[in-house]
Amino acid sequence: MLDACADHACCGRCAGAGAATAARIARRRLLKAAVFRPADAAAPAGGSRAGGSRAGGSRAAAFAACGDLPRAITGAVIDVSPHFLVLSHGTGQERLALTPDATAWRGGPLDPAAVRPGDQAVVRLRARARGVADRIWANIGRVTGTIIERTADGLVVDEGMTRKRQLVSIPPRASARIQVRFPSLEPGYLIDVIGLRRSGALEALVPATYQPAYRVRQLPAAGLPAPALAGGHVPDAISGSATWHEPGDEPPGIAGLGYPAVDPEARCAEGPGPQVPGNLRLPYLSIGSILLVRNDCTGSSCALPVNSCAAVGRLFNDRCVTCGTSPRSRVADLTQASFVALGGELERGCFNATITIGG
Amino acid sequence: MLLPVVIREVQVPLLASMLLGGCAAKLAAMLRTRSAAAALGPTVLFPMGLRRPVAAAMCGCEFVLGVGLILTAGQIGRGAPADAVRLGTALLFLVATGALIELRGSRPDVGCGCFGDFSTGPVSARALARSALLAVAALITVGLPPLRPPMPGVAAILPLGLFAAELAVIAMLSPEVGEGLIRLGYSEPCELRVVPAARTVTALRRSSVWRRHASIITAAEPVDMWRELCWRYLVYPGEANGRPVEVVFAVFLRKHRPAIQAAIVDAASVPAGPAGLAVTSADCPAGDPARTRPLVRVPAPALSALTDPGLRIPAARGSEAADLPLSRDL
Repeated sequence: MLDACADHACCGRCAGAGAATAARIARRRLLKAAVFRPADAAAPAGGSRAGGSRAGGSRAAAFAACGDLPRAITGAVIDVSPHFLVLSHGTGQERLALTPDATAWRGGPLDPAAVRPGDQAVVRLRARARGVADRIWANIGRVTGTIIERTADGLVVDEGMTRKRQLVSIPPRASARIQVRFPSLEPGYLIDVIGLRRSGALEALVPATYQPAYRVRQLPAAGLPAPALAGGHVPDAISGSATWHEPGDEPPGIAGLGYPAVDPEARCAEGPGPQVPGNLRLPYLSIGSILLVRNDCTGSSCALPVNSCAAVGRLFNDRCVTCGTSPRSRVADLTQASFVALGGELERGCFNATITIGG
Repeated sequence: MLLPVVIREVQVPLLASMLLGGCAAKLAAMLRTRSAAAALGPTVLFPMGLRRPVAAAMCGCEFVLGVGLILTAGQIGRGAPADAVRLGTALLFLVATGALIELRGSRPDVGCGCFGDFSTGPVSARALARSALLAVAALITVGLPPLRPPMPGVAAILPLGLFAAELAVIAMLSPEVGEGLIRLGYSEPCELRVVPAARTVTALRRSSVWRRHASIITAAEPVDMWRELCWRYLVYPGEANGRPVEVVFAVFLRKHRPAIQAAIVDAASVPAGPAGLAVTSADCPAGDPARTRPLVRVPAPALSALTDPGLRIPAARGSEAADLPLSRDL
């Protein structure tokens, strides 16, 4: 049997720290505010970009309050009927109404009433009727990383130093579909697949992107020729692809995102990491930084804290094509709850997004 | 020709080029961002409604004075009109110097905006010195007789050499030169630069800000350190008047003489658990626009309070950043 936990070294600064990470985020924001006190709320959007010296953002006014967004709930299905779904999560149970237009996914489109007790579900509620389920994903999972081993059991995938290694099995019915997008299922190549969680492994069903042609080892080290920036500056707003990741060691339902360019000094990423040709380098941030994330496909936006590293995200040079082609690759790796709340469809894997550095 | 006269004569084209250059850079920033307030640092000192007109007026003044200096340099407008333009230029730079001093105290995170979005770094002593130098340069041109073109040949070397020398001095006083090199791709913007934490700590410990706070710091190593864009934050435990405090330093990430700011926070006001942010909520947690407002540094001479035996550092109410007790220093 493959050992997926070997070499897993999760540092406390990153994903998996759970409550400690939340405390750290709160603490850092307070301390930062002590040095740079928030200005008057009526500051102009885009008004005072202090460029290289900016210590925070100024564009919150242009973003909708997150409270206006649909809420997402994560939990285990306790009971289900044609009209109701009962979920159990960390703080208790929640009874949600199912309307005829609600939809579900468990490896494919499904009638919501066909969700089974025991399934781990992510449910998006309606924005204006919070007790009503709008969309249900059952047992959905995702693995993104570098293939490090291929055996008869499947693939062992490294998702980076801050996450556990994952086991991926590819059933025969999905093999052709996945190999169209991921022709090289060999060690050293990247993989990003969505599927169903079954006893600790992921049964891959849907390719989340297409496979880069390079092996990770072939990528040049960072710091060598930097890609051109628009006007020599890091733009205020950076458009690209927003993906999602499973909670892992994080509390289920946590809001936030993994950022591909967490300060290398935080010791939670693999140093500056390799530089993917053509990828725009993102400005360095830390756990606790705030990003304003906008779903360019739906217009929904929300301010979210960076609560984990997404070092693997910067290895990809893909584009999201949910609504048009994103101008560049991955700029944020959202938690399931945030991805769903912002209007993303988990089985699609990404949405076109614009991030702005917040306060 | 006497050296003092040549020095005075050289100032006119120099001032005109600085004014027109600054105006052009501001206009370019405005056109690029389609905002009259873009990168015009000192306008943040004004109320919201006045920022746009003030930004436009600043740009207009620079253009008018720059063109005026050129037009009145010769026989046209000799005497009172020329002196009026030169006095106006001196006044502009004097006001600018005062505004930069104020900006440095109240909004140290904002650049001076002197050359549009080239001037994005915090206002430094160099920028202040440049502004004062230009004010003096404008003042010494008052009463200067009409300029004559330099004589060809060897005689032109002196004015041209003085012009070049003064330009070099101004370039040394201009952080915008570094920004220009970034635009040309010769160096990375600070947001992308990998800066070792050890270098930041070394720069901090060499600073006067550190020395002023060293007496209350009780640990050699920071208890927390993180980076956002061009700033790295370091938190040290300390004790002031028998109460535990935390000293927060923000260090701008550049090689030489980085800008450093500090604040002292009551340790009891900093959350020890995940209570400050509802990040475990299923809802997006940071939706309150107040939490992502632009940052401003309220003028508060705190260091004097530190030495005050009656220092009181009240606890923060709830988790609102705006309510944090703090004392600050630049």
